Amino acid sequence: MGRGSRAFPLPLFVSDGGTRMNESSSRSGARENGYFLRAERITKVYSDGTVAVRDATLELRPGEIVGLLGENGAGKTTLTKILSGLLPPTRGQVVSPRGRVRFASPREALEFGIGMVHQHFALVGTFTAVENVALSHERPFSSLQLGATRAKLEALMEESGLRVPLDVPVEKLAVGEQQRVEILKVLSREVDLLILDEPTSVLTPLEVDELFRLLRRLRDEGKAIVLITHKLKEVGSVTDRVVVLRKGAVVGDVRTAGVTKEELAQLMVGKALETRAGRAVELSTEEIPAHAHDRERGDRGPGVLHVEGLSVAGTTKPIAVDDLTFDVYGGEIFGIAGVEGNGQTELVEALTGLRPALKGTATIHGQNILGLDPRQIYKLGVAHIPEDRWVLGLVLPFTLAENAILGVHRWDEFRGPLSVLRWGRINAHVRSLMERFEIQATGPSAPAKSLSGGNQQKLIVGRELAKDPAIVIASQPTRGLDVGAAQYIRDTLVEMRDRGRAILLVSADLDEVLALSDRVAVMYEGKFMAVARPEELDREKVGMLMGGVSVGGRG
Amino acid sequence: MTGNEGQPGGWLLRGAHRTLTGLHPALESVLAAVVGLLVGAVLMYIWGYDPWRAYWALLRGAYGGSYEIASSIARGVPLVLTALTFAICLRGGMFNIGAEGQMYVGAAAAVCVAYFQLPSWLHVVAGVLFAAVAGAIWSLGPALLKLTRGVHEVISTIMFNWISRFLVFYLVAYVLVDPRQAQRTVRVPLSARFPILVPGTDLSYAVFMAVAFALFAYVLLWHTAVGYEVRAAGLTPTAARYGGISVKRTMLLSFILGGVAAGLAGAATTMGLPPTYAIISGLPELMNLGFDGMAVAMVGRNHPIGILVAALFFGGLNAGGRVMQFYGSNPVPLEMVRVVMGAIVLAMAIPELARVFPALAASGRALVRMLSRKKPVEEAA
Repeated sequence: MGRGSRAFPLPLFVSDGGTRMNESSSRSGARENGYFLRAERITKVYSDGTVAVRDATLELRPGEIVGLLGENGAGKTTLTKILSGLLPPTRGQVVSPRGRVRFASPREALEFGIGMVHQHFALVGTFTAVENVALSHERPFSSLQLGATRAKLEALMEESGLRVPLDVPVEKLAVGEQQRVEILKVLSREVDLLILDEPTSVLTPLEVDELFRLLRRLRDEGKAIVLITHKLKEVGSVTDRVVVLRKGAVVGDVRTAGVTKEELAQLMVGKALETRAGRAVELSTEEIPAHAHDRERGDRGPGVLHVEGLSVAGTTKPIAVDDLTFDVYGGEIFGIAGVEGNGQTELVEALTGLRPALKGTATIHGQNILGLDPRQIYKLGVAHIPEDRWVLGLVLPFTLAENAILGVHRWDEFRGPLSVLRWGRINAHVRSLMERFEIQATGPSAPAKSLSGGNQQKLIVGRELAKDPAIVIASQPTRGLDVGAAQYIRDTLVEMRDRGRAILLVSADLDEVLALSDRVAVMYEGKFMAVARPEELDREKVGMLMGGVSVGGRG
Repeated sequence: MTGNEGQPGGWLLRGAHRTLTGLHPALESVLAAVVGLLVGAVLMYIWGYDPWRAYWALLRGAYGGSYEIASSIARGVPLVLTALTFAICLRGGMFNIGAEGQMYVGAAAAVCVAYFQLPSWLHVVAGVLFAAVAGAIWSLGPALLKLTRGVHEVISTIMFNWISRFLVFYLVAYVLVDPRQAQRTVRVPLSARFPILVPGTDLSYAVFMAVAFALFAYVLLWHTAVGYEVRAAGLTPTAARYGGISVKRTMLLSFILGGVAAGLAGAATTMGLPPTYAIISGLPELMNLGFDGMAVAMVGRNHPIGILVAALFFGGLNAGGRVMQFYGSNPVPLEMVRVVMGAIVLAMAIPELARVFPALAASGRALVRMLSRKKPVEEAA
């Protein structure tokens, strides 16, 4: 686990998980005796009756990286919002050595020294990075200090290795870049406690390494860091201590060095593991089984998607997709790996009718799709699982039923004479989707925003696959999902492939692309650096290709 | 993982809680109305009036008998239609405040039926169609400016309101003017008038037109694919585009529908409003109905059915206010009713009011939990 040499002075407690206890402390310094923040027996009940956190106790100390581990909906985000004073707990309290903590606004929390980087960023889209950071320093009626902010940011970027374009409106940056702006924004406030909510889900392996280096340095400078995650590998590589939440309760609080990945996975998913006997191993280690390798080669079906000489303009770049030519066949998963912002988004948008192409052709079963609107493209048998489920995939205030017909609402199954919607059939359809795709919701009339991220994504996947498409274009289909939901969606994609459908999979999760794909393309600056079978590639090779370094002869 | 996990009480309590949660928006509107009336009462008290007597007069004037109720409904009729203009466009993602001007144009078009003869019911239909088409055409201006040039609809509809106001002033004074009565236009002929529903009141068959259009708007928005597209585009335009919906088309459609509703309001206030059945110079019968409609839409939560209820309330305030200003030795002026309306709209905009009900629900749950002495379900380790 890398950090085994660090000693932990305070006795750690395990609530009921039964995990290995720590060795007793070998060192006791003055600093370690003090804590920065302590949550005491926190319970949070939301106004709709949901119990998000139950009786959780947690202590954060300077100079320590704490991993907060749990599935989606386990209460990680709620707990950290309470820790940073953004939400009042229903019962229990948050205390610091300076007394009880209660903030009226994120600004007060920041002034106290608590900074949080949320999963969904709090940036003004039309402002540049400099303006966004300057804005966060703003007091009413003070003057904007753009010059000073720019100097500070440049120094910070130099020091941390997090680089972002400073003068482009942030809405035009890739998601990964936006996150870097958000981290820089918090760092520029010189916080003592940094909370990061699933920070790596939008980053590439290299960027993750950089982020972790940064976190370790901040830790060594004496900051307290909380890393919310559901990736066991990250917990192992960067945290000193790990707190496991399940259904709002702390089920384990252990030193990272003293626990195995398997034990953590066991704690995290709890009993669900035994009920899915066949998948127990996969779940506990988060190793994605290599679906591609267990099949015979050369049994791929007819060509479904044919792309030739396709160029697409980006929002900021004149050329985002540069003269791409490739085919996707029935019965195969064609994976596109690469650092985000290298044209994957633009490629998918061009193929699904959301962005015009500059030149080239793209056909499905020989029929041109460029220049068609999304509805016409869906008619040709395309399902699109979009990159951003809040912006593209769902109308959040709509109900499950209303969301389940987005894009197919004019199909005859759901629309009768005079364009009247057949709610009876639609509701029946939603119930069958809920059952088939294990979507947990109170019913077809529940608003989509009340669902957890995993269930929202299952709803999208269910809706798209119910079209019985010839090709599924899936962009970051498992981003931000817990282990169980991610695995479920991967299995579903593999099942579609086995039924002869073509799958175009775009993912920033390298392990996912390598494990699922029959062929992998590595995209860099709008071009494919290489197209290969996954067994011909290893992580290092792909890492180099993603960084734009050609590897012997291929490409 | 169901939402009810850890929630105390049986199915009956949970059912009651769900029902109340569903009624939540309606309760907020009621609360805003109460706050508005309270503000009015405080002001009346400060100025030396007796709020109790004034509100008693208002209540009796609004809903005290069948004549009063009919008058209140009659005053609500044009408000239903102008409120629908605002509500339909808001559902489509736009802030259309052009109902006022579209209604003027619709009224002027409806009066034009005086210049030709038709059998009775056909004459009414012709007038309604004239008004609807005129309102729709007037709404096309801001709609096309928005879709082709990106002009914000708030700016353009305000401008179009002024243009139509002076245009209709001109038409009333010079074109549609009755040669024998210079202060008003020609009267809508008998054959083209909405028949009176309750004799002795202003309530005409125009009320059925308003209710029918509200029901039509409800069915269209919530039960057809077209309305589904309008609402999807209004809530999340990016997701609508992903879903193959042309956002420009839904915007145009909601603007046109809004124009039709406002035009119909113009028809209701000419063809269906005794005793003049004409537009009076200065438009006293029309003035502000479009803007009041926005208040009605807000209180009615931009839902056609809610708008019907809210319009009855606002119509009652208007009708009852007239009684209030003649009641007792120290009568309260009619303007106080407008103060109350303003306070209600302001109260609707206070977010803290919206939090009263979740807070009440939370304390209710705490009470139930205390009574049933049941702790939230403990997790099995």
